[in-house]
Amino acid sequence: MVKLTIPATELVRPGHAACPGCGPALAMRLLLKGLGPRTVLSMPACCWTVIATPYPTTALGVALLDNPIESTGASISGIRAAVDALAIPDVTVVGFAGDGGTADIGLQALSGMLERRTNAIYVMYDNEAYMNTGIQRSGATPEGAWTTTTPVGGAGRGKPERKKDIMGIVLAHRPVYAATLNPSFPEDFVRKAAKAREIAGPRFLHVFAPCPPGWRYSSEETIEIGRLATDTGVFPLYEVADGHLRLTRRLSSLKPIGEYLGRQGRYAHLTPEERARLQAEVRSGWERILREDASGSPGGPFSSRSSHAATKGDTVEAA
Amino acid sequence: MLEIRFHGRGGQGAVVASELLAQAAFLDGKRPQSFPFFGVERRGAPVTAYCRIDDREVRLRTSITRPDIVVVLEPGLLRAGSAMEGLKPDGILLVNSREEPAALPAPAGVRRASVDATTIALTHGLGTPMMPIVNTAILGALAAASGAVSLGALEQAIDRFVPAHPAENRAAARDGAAAVRVAPPLTAGHSRGASSAVARAPPLELPDAPMAVASSATIATAAWRTLRPEIDQRRCTRCNFCWKFCPDVAIELNAEGFPVVHLEHCKGCGICAAECPPGAIAMVAEG
Amino acid sequence: MTQIVMSGNSAQSYAALLARVQVIAAYPITPQTTIVEKLAEFVANGRLAAQYLQVESEHSALQSVVSASALGARTYTATSSQGLLLMHEVLHWASGLRVPVVMGVVNRAVAPPWSIGADHADTIAQRDTGWIQFYAESNQEVLDTVLEAYRIAEDPAVRLPAMVTEDAFYLSHTVEPVDVPSAETVDAFLPAREVRAILVPGVPARLGSFTGPIEYVGFRRDVARAMERVLPTLAAVEEDYARRTGRDHGGPLPTYRTEDADAVLLTMGTATTTARAVIDALREEGHRVGLAKLRVFRPFPVEAVRALAASVDRIGVLDRSFTFGPTGAAAMEVRSALYDASPRPLVSDFVAGIGGRDITPEAITRMFALLEGPEPPELTWIDLAAPEASADG
Repeated sequence: MVKLTIPATELVRPGHAACPGCGPALAMRLLLKGLGPRTVLSMPACCWTVIATPYPTTALGVALLDNPIESTGASISGIRAAVDALAIPDVTVVGFAGDGGTADIGLQALSGMLERRTNAIYVMYDNEAYMNTGIQRSGATPEGAWTTTTPVGGAGRGKPERKKDIMGIVLAHRPVYAATLNPSFPEDFVRKAAKAREIAGPRFLHVFAPCPPGWRYSSEETIEIGRLATDTGVFPLYEVADGHLRLTRRLSSLKPIGEYLGRQGRYAHLTPEERARLQAEVRSGWERILREDASGSPGGPFSSRSSHAATKGDTVEAA
Repeated sequence: MLEIRFHGRGGQGAVVASELLAQAAFLDGKRPQSFPFFGVERRGAPVTAYCRIDDREVRLRTSITRPDIVVVLEPGLLRAGSAMEGLKPDGILLVNSREEPAALPAPAGVRRASVDATTIALTHGLGTPMMPIVNTAILGALAAASGAVSLGALEQAIDRFVPAHPAENRAAARDGAAAVRVAPPLTAGHSRGASSAVARAPPLELPDAPMAVASSATIATAAWRTLRPEIDQRRCTRCNFCWKFCPDVAIELNAEGFPVVHLEHCKGCGICAAECPPGAIAMVAEG
Repeated sequence: MTQIVMSGNSAQSYAALLARVQVIAAYPITPQTTIVEKLAEFVANGRLAAQYLQVESEHSALQSVVSASALGARTYTATSSQGLLLMHEVLHWASGLRVPVVMGVVNRAVAPPWSIGADHADTIAQRDTGWIQFYAESNQEVLDTVLEAYRIAEDPAVRLPAMVTEDAFYLSHTVEPVDVPSAETVDAFLPAREVRAILVPGVPARLGSFTGPIEYVGFRRDVARAMERVLPTLAAVEEDYARRTGRDHGGPLPTYRTEDADAVLLTMGTATTTARAVIDALREEGHRVGLAKLRVFRPFPVEAVRALAASVDRIGVLDRSFTFGPTGAAAMEVRSALYDASPRPLVSDFVAGIGGRDITPEAITRMFALLEGPEPPELTWIDLAAPEASADG
């Protein structure tokens, strides 16, 4: 028998309605492998509303509550309160929302949930635009990316503004655990989900979720594009526990961002100058994270005043 | 009034085809109406669009259940079954297919037409082999086979309303018109395929809260697929990358650890083939 | 049973305490705030074992109790005016998910201009959200109705959310004696929630879902059917409550001195009490006038209104809001209920007391004068002018 590196249990059912090569579909599959069957999900309007299939079927092997697009944070606070009030044992309460439902319209409820220290996990799956409505720009859309509302042509050069720093916003609330996850690295993904499950308090997972139709690439490239996102420094993999940041995929050098951008039609219009600017942005972001990772001590923007204890005994997965 | 129903999959351009047909009909001096089935569109998922063409204002705002013409943008959708539902006994079935029209299944009385719109589209650089944009080629075939619109009006509509590659799309429409083949209708007793009777909805019985408990595993998504993975077990190292990365939960590992693809759920995304370290998986075209 | 002099807001809090609610969501808004303050106190001093959620908006307040209710908890929240308007989207979720959330609402005017005065525009604007709506006349009625609302909302045949409203300041901040039933009495009347169609951790199910038109229309019809079962359920619940406490608030449309009345005024909320006194005075002068209190606005008690209409010639409707239809909302409902009535009484609408304007005995007397006059107008705005100066008598 072959040894598996991630759990065999499937809590996403086949027959779901995701597009071929869907990053969010794979992300949910890996997430639930880490979180287990006693997960209660609350989910706003997002791609997964449709992926989960229409009544009377469901593509999830766990309990799922639909909620309006802006209120996922409040919904999981309510679910947690009910679970505690009714003393239901061993329940993992999870909000699962897209980048629009989190970083734009759902930001207030997310902030409320983090601030009131709800014992729940909030997962933002980031496909970097409003994909369920057909590829409109969100606060999480990266600079330069084409969307239907940031067109290319005439004066249009894709999205003029930078991507909203959701991890910065979340970390300002000092969650007990926050991490970035990428389905191209399934072992790291599942490990972080399982680790989050074992910690009590407000937790946040930022999940990279490539979208073939929205990012304009061919469906079989989802995994490779995810790998390139991390290895070019566009989406570094790290976790923050007790205020301490730890890279979970260290890189001796970054791959040039062109390898990542060049595979996606949404960046096809970028000039060498525009690419260079994005490259510089990515490098400075990566260096900032490296400084945090290297310091290992309180005082940085991600730090709280708590101890080093959380990182003790952890192993580094990738060198 | 002429009622035309398009069947395609998300991303193929069925909705645009219906709209273009309406634009062309308008240029012909008709009063058209076009609209998509109001559902959620997923790339690869079956999509329906409706077009009505009349000399007077169309005074009907419902989906088309008794079409005069059914246009199928991909032969795989015929297998899915519902494409021919309600097609009038003297109607026209137009399919994007390499096959001769005489080989198409259809109820008695229906005129059958086929055109290899995929090859025409790819010849003109429209789309990719996995997702060819066949709508303009098949509209040319529709104009020639049915006379629903004139080819001239269709070309004019393409010029005005297709933002990318209008010249190539015009050429595809002309090629489609030239290449379409029509077979005579089958006589009663020799008909094949789906009946043209309109399916009756089952009586409505629901619980009083919107609580879904059935498994989606009962839903087949095979019809979304244009390519199918084939695993060469001799080259498989049982690394299980294909299983790990499958977004559709369509790959299972057997007792020996070899991957088994559940084709009823595979959407043919090609991730397993792309990620297979020894290259043991090939994506092959569906027949 | 104990008698306590308390405000309408305290009556809400005491009712939630007696109902042993398990999850409370709190967000302040004048004049509701003292309800959740009192509940915070009950939780802090251990009188109520509830999860008390401090939320960052009314939208989140309602969402969190809706989600808690979807897991089977008995929940409570309260709001007013702008807060209720912000909840509008989630109000639909509550009824569509069939969760029996009970909410206190202090009826307050809607901005702009800012006003914290009594006005029913906030709840009237929510009449189409699938919530049961009770309008209370006294603090006693507030307390009793909240308890009854839980029974009705949680009834397996109903399973709809309910709001119990009280007029800003006229009840919310007015203290008067309230009989508080004992915990034993309430526990017997309102046992732990009987759950149906809730999410259970570990059991795969999706509550909410999305549908095509065929299923959607079925679910909407189910909400409508549940609404139809509210009034029969209310009758049974009130009977039980009366047996245990001796108090019966008289169904959805209790009446006062209507037996031989030619003209009846239909009121909502606190205006009812003043109207009773006016009717007594007018009766003494020989007027054959009476009163009907519209206690339940949703579902609208069509049959009760028709029964009332069978014996009267003229119905005046006092609308404490104006929502920019041809008349006030209650008058429109009454007219609609009576369209097929034969003989059909005349209906005259009085818009009064909005934005916290007092509904004085004089104003109500004027309404009756118009109603009994030669040509009662379809719609009259009462008290558009400032009150006469009366300082020098």
